Formats: sequence, C-alpha cells, structure tokens
Amino acid sequence: MAQEEKAQEPTVTFTAKAGLPSAPQTMEVHAGVGDIKPWDLDDWPQFEQMGKPRPRSEAPLKVTGRAKYTYDLKLPGMLYGRMIGAEVAAGTIVSIDTSKAEALPGVKAVWTADSKVVRFAGQDVAAVAAVSPEVAIDAARLVKVTYKEKPFVHELREAMKNGAPLVFAESEAPAGKDVPRKGNVFGPGARSRGNRGDLDKGFAGAEVVHEGTYYCPVHTHSCLETHGVVASWEGDQLTVHASTQGIFAVREGLAEALGIDRKNVRVLCEHMGGGFGSKLGPSASGSAFAMAACKMAKKAGAPVKMMLDRKQEHLCTGNAPSALMTVKVGAKKDGTVTAVHYRSWGSAGVAGGAGTAGPAASLHGKNPNFKAEEYDVFTNAGPGAPLRAPGHSQGAFGIESAMDELADKLGMDPIELRKKNEASPVRMAQYDLGAKEIGWARRNKKAGDTTTGGWGGTAKGAKKRGVGMANGNWYVFAAEDVGAQVKVHRDGSVEVIAGYQDIGTGSRTAIAVVAAEELGVETSAVTMRIGDTQFPEGPGSGGSVTINSVAPVVRLAANEARTKLFALAAPLLGVAPGELDAANGKIFVAKDPAKSVTFKQAAAKMSGETIDCTAKRKKQYETFRGDLAGTQFAEVEVDTETGEVRVIKMVSVNDCGFPANPLTAQNQVIGAMIQGASWALLENRILDRNVGTMVNPNLESYKIFAPGDMFEAKSILTPVANLGNNTSTAGIGEPPIVPTLAVIANAVYNAIGVRIRELPITPDRVLAALSEARRRA
Amino acid sequence: QVTVEPRVTLLDALRNHLDLTGAKQVCDRGSCGACTVLFDGQPVNSCMLLAADAEGHEITTVEGLGTPEKLSPLQAAFVEKDALQCGFCTPGFVVSGTALLAKNAHPTLDQIKAGLAGNLCRCGTYGRIFEAVEAAAKAKRG
Repeated sequence: MAQEEKAQEPTVTFTAKAGLPSAPQTMEVHAGVGDIKPWDLDDWPQFEQMGKPRPRSEAPLKVTGRAKYTYDLKLPGMLYGRMIGAEVAAGTIVSIDTSKAEALPGVKAVWTADSKVVRFAGQDVAAVAAVSPEVAIDAARLVKVTYKEKPFVHELREAMKNGAPLVFAESEAPAGKDVPRKGNVFGPGARSRGNRGDLDKGFAGAEVVHEGTYYCPVHTHSCLETHGVVASWEGDQLTVHASTQGIFAVREGLAEALGIDRKNVRVLCEHMGGGFGSKLGPSASGSAFAMAACKMAKKAGAPVKMMLDRKQEHLCTGNAPSALMTVKVGAKKDGTVTAVHYRSWGSAGVAGGAGTAGPAASLHGKNPNFKAEEYDVFTNAGPGAPLRAPGHSQGAFGIESAMDELADKLGMDPIELRKKNEASPVRMAQYDLGAKEIGWARRNKKAGDTTTGGWGGTAKGAKKRGVGMANGNWYVFAAEDVGAQVKVHRDGSVEVIAGYQDIGTGSRTAIAVVAAEELGVETSAVTMRIGDTQFPEGPGSGGSVTINSVAPVVRLAANEARTKLFALAAPLLGVAPGELDAANGKIFVAKDPAKSVTFKQAAAKMSGETIDCTAKRKKQYETFRGDLAGTQFAEVEVDTETGEVRVIKMVSVNDCGFPANPLTAQNQVIGAMIQGASWALLENRILDRNVGTMVNPNLESYKIFAPGDMFEAKSILTPVANLGNNTSTAGIGEPPIVPTLAVIANAVYNAIGVRIRELPITPDRVLAALSEARRRA
Repeated sequence: QVTVEPRVTLLDALRNHLDLTGAKQVCDRGSCGACTVLFDGQPVNSCMLLAADAEGHEITTVEGLGTPEKLSPLQAAFVEKDALQCGFCTPGFVVSGTALLAKNAHPTLDQIKAGLAGNLCRCGTYGRIFEAVEAAAKAKRG
C-alpha cells in the first residue's frame, strides 16, 4: 500500500553518468520533486571536498580522553545501577527476596522483572540502584532468588536432536504461527530468499556436483563500551544518555515501555564505544536494563547510571547466531554453475532470525536455479542480535567455501570460476585489482604443495603459506524518514544539525564533506551537531544506511542554503543568481571565476542572524546496482607442527559508491577484515553443557584479535556512481566483513591442502584435520 | 587527594572520584589495556591496582599527555593516521604507546606490536595505530 502511494508521488527525471569511471553508462533516474541531480561520473573528478582523505573531526577529543561516552557521565546525585541475571539456563523463578538488599544503607531503588519464566542464564531477574558502584555490587549479592530448574539445551546440533528439551513449549509460537515446526526447529519460512528456476533441472544438467556441510559457532559483539544508559527525570520529562546505534529507537522503545509520550523523552548520544548491531534497540536483545534504569530513577528521584558488566555484555546483549550450512552446487565442466541448493540451520538462542542465505542467493547471479531453506533452531542461550552484516559472514563462509571446493574439483582457478558466473560489472572489475595486490600468482597450484607456489626459499619446512579469496555481497539500504538542518550564520560559519549518532565510523566528517561540497566551503568550516532526538529525525545506524540516508538530506538542505546565499551574492556581482557557482569559500560567476565574493561577504548580507534550512529526505532513486560488490583475498601461514594459523596479508576490494572520506571508509574496511579474521581464527562462545552458563564470558578466554595477531591490511575502494541518491554515497560498515571467514578458510586450504569446514580454525582443528588427512593417505 | 573504601581500584578512584574518565573499564581483569595509566612512568592496568597502593606514586593518565588544543606528538599522529574508530580503546593505546616511545624512541614494527600487546581494539584499528607510533617516532627523529 505504502509502495503504491510512493509510486504515485510526482517525480522529476534526471539523466546522469552511472557506474565505474572506466565504463560510464548513461542512466535515467526518477527523483522526488524538489530533489536534485545526483552527483555522477562527471562530478567525480571535479570534487573539491568529496573523496579526499581527512582525519575525523572528533579525533582530538578521543585521543586525549576528553570525549565523554555514556559510561563517563556523572550527574549530580547520580546513583549506580546493577543488573542481576538468572543463574540457571531454564526454569521458573519461585521467589525473589530483595528485602536484605533494600535494607542495605545506600540502596535507593530495586526493580524486579515481570517474567517468571527463565530461558537462558543471564536473563533479567532484578536490578538495584545505590549511591556507589561498590554498594550496588553488595546489594546485588543480597538479592536472593530461588528457581525451579528445568532441563535445557545449550547448542544448535543438540537442540536439533529428537527428544531435546524444548526451549518453547508446543503451545508457544516464537517464530510465527505459519512456520513449520519440529521440536526446537522452525522452518523453512514461506518466503525464502532469492529462490528461482528449477533445482532438479539444474542438477540434471550439471557435470560436476559438490556438496559440503559447514559450521560457524556463535560470536559475541564484544563492544568495548558495554551497553548502558544514564537516565534522569525532571517532572515527567525523561532524559536518557545512551550508548546506542539508534537514539530514536531508544526514545520510541522507552516511551512505549514506560507508557509516556515520545515528546517527553529526550535521548542523547555524543560518542559511543562500539555497537556492531547490538545497540539498535531501546535496551538490548536480552535485557531491559534501560527501562529498569528509568524506573529506578523515577522511584529514587535521582539519576541512575546503568552500565552492564563484561559478563552481562556477553550473555544478554546479542550475538551472531551459529550456522550449520549444507551447500550443494552443480556446474558444467567449464565452470558454469547450473544449480545451488542452500540449506541452513542456525541458533539465535531464544530468538529467531538465524537465516544465512543472503550471499548464496546474491552471489554467482548468473546461476538460473537456486533454492534456499533456512531454519531457526531455538536453544537456551541469550537472544541473537544483528552483528555486522547479519547472517552474511556465516552464509558467505558456506557458499564461498563450497565454490572453492568446486573450483578444486573442476581443476579451475577460483577467480576464473567466479568470473564465469559473475553478474556484477563492478565485481568483475575488482577481481584483477585484488589479485594483483595479494600476489595471486604465488598461490599453490596444487593445494598443500608449497613447491607449486611462488614462495621461493620459504616453500619448505613446517610453515606453509597459501592464498585464498572469496566474494561478499551487501545491499544499498536507506532510511527515508530522515531530516537535517543546515544553518549558515551571519559570520559565515556553518552548522549541520542531524539526529543520527556516530558509532565510530567518522560519519561526522563524511557528512560535513557533503555539506561543504554543496556550499563550496572547506569541510573544516562545517560544524556537526548530532546525537540528540531534539534534532531532525535520523536513522538507526544499522544496515550500513547512515551515510546514504543522511548525506542526501544534508545536501538538500545545503542546496537550499546555497540558493539563498547566491541570491545575496548576485547583486554584489551584478549578475543573476543562476549565473553563480561556489567553491573554495568563494561564490563566483561561473563563466568568469575572477568575479567573486567570499562566502563570508555573502553571508554578511543576510537579514537576521541565520539562514536556516531544514529538509526532509526524499525517496531513493533507481540505483545503478542494488548490490554492493566486494571481493577479498588473504595470504596465510600455517604451522603444520603447532597448528597455528597466522594471517600475513589481506586485501579487500569494495564498492561504497562515492566515498566521501576514503581515510575513514578504508578504516572501516580494514577493521572489518580484522574483526572477521578474529571470528575465523579465535572466537567461539562456549556454553557449559552441564549447567548452561557461559564458560568464557570475558576477554581473556573469549579471545579477540590483538596487536600481535595483526597482518598487513590493504583496502582498495572502487568508486561507483550508483545514483541511488543525490550524493551517490553508500555505506561501507558491513560489506567488507561478509567474505572474511571464507577467505581465511580458503587460504588455509591452499596452504595445507586440507579443508577446515568448522570455525574457528584453531590449532587443534588444524592438527586434527592434518592427521586425519595423513591417516586417509 | 581522595579518600575511598579500601577495595576501590585506582581506575575507579580516577574515574568516579577525580572525574578523570579517559581511562576506561572494559574487561575489569587486566586483559584489555583500556585502563592503562602510567605509574611512576610505567604502564599499568589501573583496574588491577588498588587506589590505596597508588598513594605517594606519580600517576599520569591520558589527560595528562596532551589536550585537544595541544596534542602530544603521538596523539597528533593518532589523529593524522585516523588510528581510531569508536575511540573507546584509544586512551589505553595512547598511554601504552607513549610508554613504549619513552623506553624505545625508534621501535621496529615487532617492538611496537610487543609494546602494545596488552591492549585490545574491537573496531580493528591496530594497523593504523602501528603507523601512528611509527610516525610519532619518525617525527621525533626529525
């Protein structure tokens, strides 16, 4: 319905040059009336501000410890909250006795959860607020909870077995009524992604078939700043400082939970210490800590700061679901893929949403026959949450490992196999760039035999090197209910005011670049004000939507300000406003740039103190490609005596439209490779099979990549005029982590000639696989 | 001067009692380095030290190394190389890096990795951090 209404919205048509600079294509796009011609390939070489590397504006605050995170705030009279989580994995709460905690001097408020059913260890039970963190810890210890325990199931493959304890009773429908169910297994959903053609026909026409099963364990987000809020009331006005990826989602969620008007809730987030998808909701996927903080603040009549501790962060703030994937691929001898059957079972604990079919459906787009079946398997574990390209890293590990195995069976170069089935002209142009940078020619022609690779003197000995590659896909998503305000002051200073939040991507500077480009001023002249629900509405920072949601509306507001400034400048230059252009802090006659006034001189002519332009984002244009192409490469070294895998180098080639600030965009890409390599080689959330609690809820046994693990990382951005919005920008937070698990696994195979199909690729798994291979030989 | 309960860590004393919030608590058990401060010039995890044990010692936090207006050479290099993302681990890395450069003005890449081995970053900025330390060392050399 909404779509039909949108289709009838009047549009204007623009013709622009789309695609890669090496292969421009003329394209027509339809924009909402009042929107402007998208920046295209003609603009790309002309930009003064866009596409230049720039340090982020908030960096000086962050490197000196002056940036104030939610965790750093201290309000007058502020109390310290502490959550108390369930100590059992399944059962019911018989009683919660808070009397001793309440009697402790310094305790000002206590909260208890409504639900008496426990489905995972760490689930909210109660909370306390006290005058110091130390007293809050003491009070939490005094809360006495008694449980009636029930059998539980801690792991995906266990939960799939007949007779496994049920996480949800037969009468409950956690995955929707229409989804087929067998025990803890729900699926496949009616609308599986990307299904097309006829599988039977496709496999009948195949000359080579590969089928393999791949497994990814659960990863946790492990944000360094744990989830947390500082909540304070003034009458019926609630102010919440939150470590969040979505200030408006926090406002909406808390208003609803507390039964108050949204306009009475103000949410602020100036800086936040990592989210990766787990901080998109009002509290967290497995805890209502923010609501508890608000309620205790009201009760105590004092602000409450509620930060989760590291263990709680692992247990109840989300995780990437596990995935068990069975992939069957059929192909002709020349590598033409004829069919892909993709099945996956995943567990997001007590939540659904463990699907992983995105990459299989999207990559190798020439394949006419595709079917995906995705199953959610419930376990007694904290609910999952989106984690950086949700389901896609796991899914790409499945499909891209299978493609690597298929290439081996066909005796084909893995890149040639990808090219044979490639539908994206962008990725087609990316392969050779990445291959050259990684030194693809050095790879072992025969996997595991380093004498067939270009390693020179290092080919012999226990340490074996290999090179691998894999593809990733992502999408051009954008939020449309987004606004922005651009203010030009009489002194010529510029402010951009927008209610989104920066999650560490450097978006302040990337957005300032867009405003500066439109106004013809230096980026450093633009001040960004973000992270406040009193500003025009912004999107949640998830799905890599921030830049392509916010930049277009900022450009629109800046364009209006530019028009007003031209009207002020025109009389000074004795020409019509339409004859003017702006760049480098000057407004000049387009045909005679020597005739100019400075931006400041024009601004000084305004009546009143500011030119104040507020815009609402208009609809997304047609996009050159709806998918964001990426391909990635790795060189690894495997010690066949210790089983240790070291990443030597990684290269990621990515499309992010027109990168507004390549310095910060490439930081995202490199960070994704590091986080992905960490998942591939180290990370594994382990639940105790006997008691159902997490064995490694910390950062020394839930290991993440550290400085000593670091490799040479290279990001190559391929600019694309995607015309999806008036700036041709696109997000880059998620795409580069999609291929990484598969890239590492494929490189390990090339080094040792033994396929590891279960992550993480730890030394014990490598040694076991090598010994199994020797036994078979 | 500050008076705290015996169990209060140096980190909590700095943060909750002295409003020096640059040092962060991330793991609270000495495995991430986000709370690194200089204790008589030596880098320590301030979450693993009781405030009472710091009495009479010189403590330098990230706030003492520079200001946004007057950055230390290493802080300026972090900004220039964009050696940060969310920035939550950054103060710890800046302090560890400062301690490393004080001990070894011209570290090799392996020495930089070793000097920063106790610090974790989740966004994945290690490579840029190494570049920043190298750049600060080079700037000093002139």
